[in-house]
Amino acid sequence: MFNRKLVALLAVLAMLFAACGGDDETDATTADGGDAGGDELTVGVSWNNYNEERWAKSDEPAIKAALEAAGVGYISTDAGSSVEQQIADVEQLISQGADALIILAQDGTAILPAVQSALSQGIPVIAYDRLIEDPGALYITFDNVEVGRMQARAIFELVPEGNYVFIKGNQADANADFLRGGQQEILQAAIDSGAIVNVGEQYTDNWDPAVAQTNMEQILTQNDNAVDAVVASNDGTAGGVVAALAAQGLDGVVPVSGQDGDSAALNRVALGTQSVSVWKDARELGKSAGEAAAALAKGTALGSVSGTVVFDSPGGNAMTSILLAPIPITNANLQVVLDAGWIDEATLCQGVAAGSVAGCP
Amino acid sequence: MTEVPPGGAEQIEDEIETKGRSFASLIRTLDIDSRLLGMIAALLVIWIGIHFMSGGTFLTPRNLWNLSVQTAAVAVMATGMVLIIVTRNIDLSVGSMLAVIGMAMALLQAEILPDIIGFGHPFMWIIAVVAGIILGAIIGGFQGFIIAYVGVPSFIVTLGGLLVWRGAAWWMASGRTIAPMDETYQLLGGGSDGNIGGGWSWIVGIVASIGIVLLMMNRRRTRLAFGFSVRPLWADTAIGAVSIGVVLGGIAYLNRYYVPELLAKARIEEAGGIWPEGGINLSQGLAIPVLIAIGVTLLMTFVATRLTFGRYVFAIGGNPEAAELGGIKTRLTIVKAFALMGMLVAIGAAIQTARLNAAVSGLGQLTELYVIAAAVIGGTSLGGGIGTIPGAVLGALVMQSLQSGMVLLGVDAPLQDIVVGVVLVIAVAIDSFYRKRSV
Amino acid sequence: MTSATKQQPPLVEMRDMRVAFGGVHAVDGVNVDLFPGEVVALVGGNGAGKTTLIKALSGAHQADSGTIFINGEEASIDTPRDAKHYAIETIYQTLALAENIDAPSNMFLGRELKTKWGLLDDSAMESAAREVMGRLNPKFQNFKVPVSSLSGGQRQSVAIARAVHFNAKILIMDEPTAALGPLETSQVNELIQQLKAEGIGIFLISHDIHDVFDSADRIAVMMQGKLVGTVNKDEVTKDEVLAMIIMGKLPGEATESEMEHLHE
Repeated sequence: MFNRKLVALLAVLAMLFAACGGDDETDATTADGGDAGGDELTVGVSWNNYNEERWAKSDEPAIKAALEAAGVGYISTDAGSSVEQQIADVEQLISQGADALIILAQDGTAILPAVQSALSQGIPVIAYDRLIEDPGALYITFDNVEVGRMQARAIFELVPEGNYVFIKGNQADANADFLRGGQQEILQAAIDSGAIVNVGEQYTDNWDPAVAQTNMEQILTQNDNAVDAVVASNDGTAGGVVAALAAQGLDGVVPVSGQDGDSAALNRVALGTQSVSVWKDARELGKSAGEAAAALAKGTALGSVSGTVVFDSPGGNAMTSILLAPIPITNANLQVVLDAGWIDEATLCQGVAAGSVAGCP
Repeated sequence: MTEVPPGGAEQIEDEIETKGRSFASLIRTLDIDSRLLGMIAALLVIWIGIHFMSGGTFLTPRNLWNLSVQTAAVAVMATGMVLIIVTRNIDLSVGSMLAVIGMAMALLQAEILPDIIGFGHPFMWIIAVVAGIILGAIIGGFQGFIIAYVGVPSFIVTLGGLLVWRGAAWWMASGRTIAPMDETYQLLGGGSDGNIGGGWSWIVGIVASIGIVLLMMNRRRTRLAFGFSVRPLWADTAIGAVSIGVVLGGIAYLNRYYVPELLAKARIEEAGGIWPEGGINLSQGLAIPVLIAIGVTLLMTFVATRLTFGRYVFAIGGNPEAAELGGIKTRLTIVKAFALMGMLVAIGAAIQTARLNAAVSGLGQLTELYVIAAAVIGGTSLGGGIGTIPGAVLGALVMQSLQSGMVLLGVDAPLQDIVVGVVLVIAVAIDSFYRKRSV
Repeated sequence: MTSATKQQPPLVEMRDMRVAFGGVHAVDGVNVDLFPGEVVALVGGNGAGKTTLIKALSGAHQADSGTIFINGEEASIDTPRDAKHYAIETIYQTLALAENIDAPSNMFLGRELKTKWGLLDDSAMESAAREVMGRLNPKFQNFKVPVSSLSGGQRQSVAIARAVHFNAKILIMDEPTAALGPLETSQVNELIQQLKAEGIGIFLISHDIHDVFDSADRIAVMMQGKLVGTVNKDEVTKDEVLAMIIMGKLPGEATESEMEHLHE
């Protein structure tokens, strides 16, 4: 009896290992770790969860390239979305001899003790993409408030007055409110004057497109379709919004915003069912962080790294920051994403009538 | 000062009591599932409450139509969850399975099949859906195998599944959004064309009414043939009439939700017609995902009550040892239940991805909890052995009514979660109170 | 027992049965047989191995070694299904009822009646249940409610009805009267006589020496996994059987002073 169970268990385990065997990318992240700690300078990167497409595809190669150009070595760890693991990872990177750290924080508060420990040992820290509330760290990110501004600006140009709907991000994500704040800045005057009416506003659990779709359906129902524009905070929720609009024949009629430059969203921009996708070129972010890390590792002072500004964080810290500007992609500048090799023409232009937009032949 | 009748207050109480008793005896004579009746009453209370709070929007044909479509996927999956929970197991992997199967079906029709059979092939949607259902059966059956034959508790196996399949969904497309879906496939999700129109809805309603009459007559005839007691004829007639009234009335009401003018105009012009001056009203009719959900509900009720498999599922939940001693292949039955759950998840995934016209790896997060909650609100006991399919569907409807209703009211997401959570606990508390009293 | 019946092959013969749990020999080389129309009582203290022995016959637990002959032919009984194939029915002490389903469903559990379409024929099952119950317990009327809402005696009726309905040739009753009042107990004892008259062989497991003497033809006594001996009821006294149970001594083996200490 026991043996039969054991055999079955072993069979299952074998299958699982076989299934995991193909995942060679994550293995590679630790492969460079061996020769760290020599006289060569080394930068350690702590990923919170490497298992997300963009880190492997865009950020890491850009960081590596920038470090290589500066003659600095690269080591990394992956915390697999675990706060505790990431704290241990940071300690490990330090003991491996990292001269500067780039941290993509799983939790910007929980990581603080590890960051402070690194700083006290004279190891500079870069808060990569996500804020770490310690004024000793260098914060490098896209300006999320600016993303919100760009979304609102693009929609406001198309619909200067009318009924607006705001489909926000996950309520637990600080970025959701940064975005919404930026949107409000642009539209405040028009809202005050009564030109723009906010007829519906909802957070989206987990940024789930299906939730955004249901919310949009309900808002359309409540307003009897009297909606003139939708400011959606990312491309996923924009997809849900467009699906809800399509059920009422309003897709392509009501402008919708988004961000991320998702393939499906850029295709919608080309088709005309989405008005704008604010694109944050992750390679720019990686390059900038790589260069800054190399400079810090070589002993450059925090404030002397090129391109820094002071950013007042929600936690009340004056953070030395590099804030990169994103690019709004509309049907007028699709060529930008094509030229950058971000998306191929076939994917971008799938189902688009020939010659209807620049970029699609 | 009101006039006190002879006999004073006691007699009034007596009268009230008699009335109460006669209502209870009426329910008994009618032989109706009083738990189900209570749930319907609760649902009506929620509906009417939200209707007034929303300024008269909730009970409009359009919103009820929305509600029916929004409930479909969770309702389909909840019917399977009933059987899982009845066997004293749980499936936490439903949401992640939804993502991985949805992703597989999307990749198949957006990236793999077009290279083989070409874009827009008429069989595309069938191949995608069948492949999805097979995949669901394999994943579910695999989890069931580990639970039943290796002996790992279902909570652990499916908790593992929750992580594994979510990761797999991401891995399959490296986190990309896969869109758009095949044109015919999109109909499975409702959307602008995924409904059958007013005429066909009436036909469905009439067929359903005939079905109700035939079923009731058949039951009556069989019981009389064996010499068993039957409900009085008037009671059967009344129940039949009310059921048919609800079906046809519901269809008449939903048919008052018309195709949005923009779409109706495009549709008529496409057909070569001329859009009349004042416009015309085309009924949307029942949405295809709703028809799927109704079909699944009927099928699963049949499976649970008329097949030996369903009987064994309940017997295992009631007393696993007795089931084993009765010669039932209990382990195989549990594998089958999990495989069936996987197939229903595939149907849910088809509805979700078709409706969204896209698949994303984050699809279906927390769905497992909504599906479990729907089953539990619908009277399924987590202790196993007790649960009904129609109850779970009603439970799904209660959950979705609250959520959609609160969006109508402009309630923010965090507060929505609080309300849904509180209602879940209250529903189960009432149910267990009722159960204690009735046993 | 007349000598004539003994010349037929026994209905059941269990030879050199052994079952061990870990290092403990729960059943250790036991030989028992059973003839048609005979009641053999299996008695012994707690942990004597009666239930374990009988589980090997009912398919609930496989024996480690030993051979079972049914009607003189070697039988292999690995599962409850196999046992039912040999017309062996068991009434477990726990009754083995699924509490959440009704009496007919329990009676037919695993052997459901089906319509020509392969669907559950609940009406036919209810009808059959009513018929059997009409013989066993005419007062029983709760055919449509879960077994959990029935009284102990009613549940017992359901468990017995299940065994009777399927025309058992060999019936195993594990403490059938343990949960019953005096009236119900005498009903069960009457039923045993009735079934015996129909030529059914019955293994009766009981701790109640009076019941055993009321119903059984032969008494097999077990102690610590071993068979002390099998005796004809008519040839022994209750005290002698008690001596077998408590001291493991056959009639005549125990001294008079030991016999006197039995009732202390």
